[in-house]
Amino acid sequence: MVAAKKTKKTHESINNRLALVMKSGKYTLGYKTVLKSLRSSKGKLVIIANNCPPLRKSEIEYYAMLAKVGVHHYNGNNVDLGTACGKYYRVCCLSIIDPGDSDIIKSMPSDH
Amino acid sequence: MVKFLKQNKAVIILQGRYAGRKGVIVRSFDDGTRDRPYGHCLVAGIAKYPKKVIRKDSAKKTAKKSRVKAFIKLVNYSHLMPTRYTLDVDLKDVVSLESLQSRDKKVTAAKETKARFEERFKTGKNRWFFSKLRF
Repeated sequence: MVAAKKTKKTHESINNRLALVMKSGKYTLGYKTVLKSLRSSKGKLVIIANNCPPLRKSEIEYYAMLAKVGVHHYNGNNVDLGTACGKYYRVCCLSIIDPGDSDIIKSMPSDH
Repeated sequence: MVKFLKQNKAVIILQGRYAGRKGVIVRSFDDGTRDRPYGHCLVAGIAKYPKKVIRKDSAKKTAKKSRVKAFIKLVNYSHLMPTRYTLDVDLKDVVSLESLQSRDKKVTAAKETKARFEERFKTGKNRWFFSKLRF
């Protein structure tokens, strides 16, 4: 199996990086704004929850392929992704526009 | 981070009367205009696809089957599905914003677009673009 079970350590580090982006950077949450950010070439990284419907997931991946933007499949569902963003609602997909102080853009593509 | 909604990009129209049809972006307005304050683009597309031409068709039949009906439309970006294909047919001089102002200007622009699409179809290039999307 490619990409062995994600260890707790890397999963926590993604959460930490995401928390830093929420605090210091710019991001958008939600399918419509993610596509908007990809069309306008503002998005730098896209994170998709694991229970995202497969058609929507493929669509976002296709847009990201056209825009040459990395996609990260978050190890958790939309409830977990919402919690990781510090929100009290579900987040299926999000796009990072400006990472702020975080190094999520530099470290994630090599990981994925 | 690369802009991909550019000229000559092949797209699929998702909404409206021409939903499911393929088109090519002629001109894009990323920041919108006063009348349309959203990202949109001028698309020239195929309203009626050419039929399948087989080897045993006579010349008259081939000509009849290779006919294309074109349309020109201003479409919102969110009503388009971009693809990885491009179609480099020069339509800038034919299709412009002012050709959408009146009905007869639109008709002449569509006729000229139809002619350009037909000659491209006859060369046998861009086969994907001229094939109907089955759904």
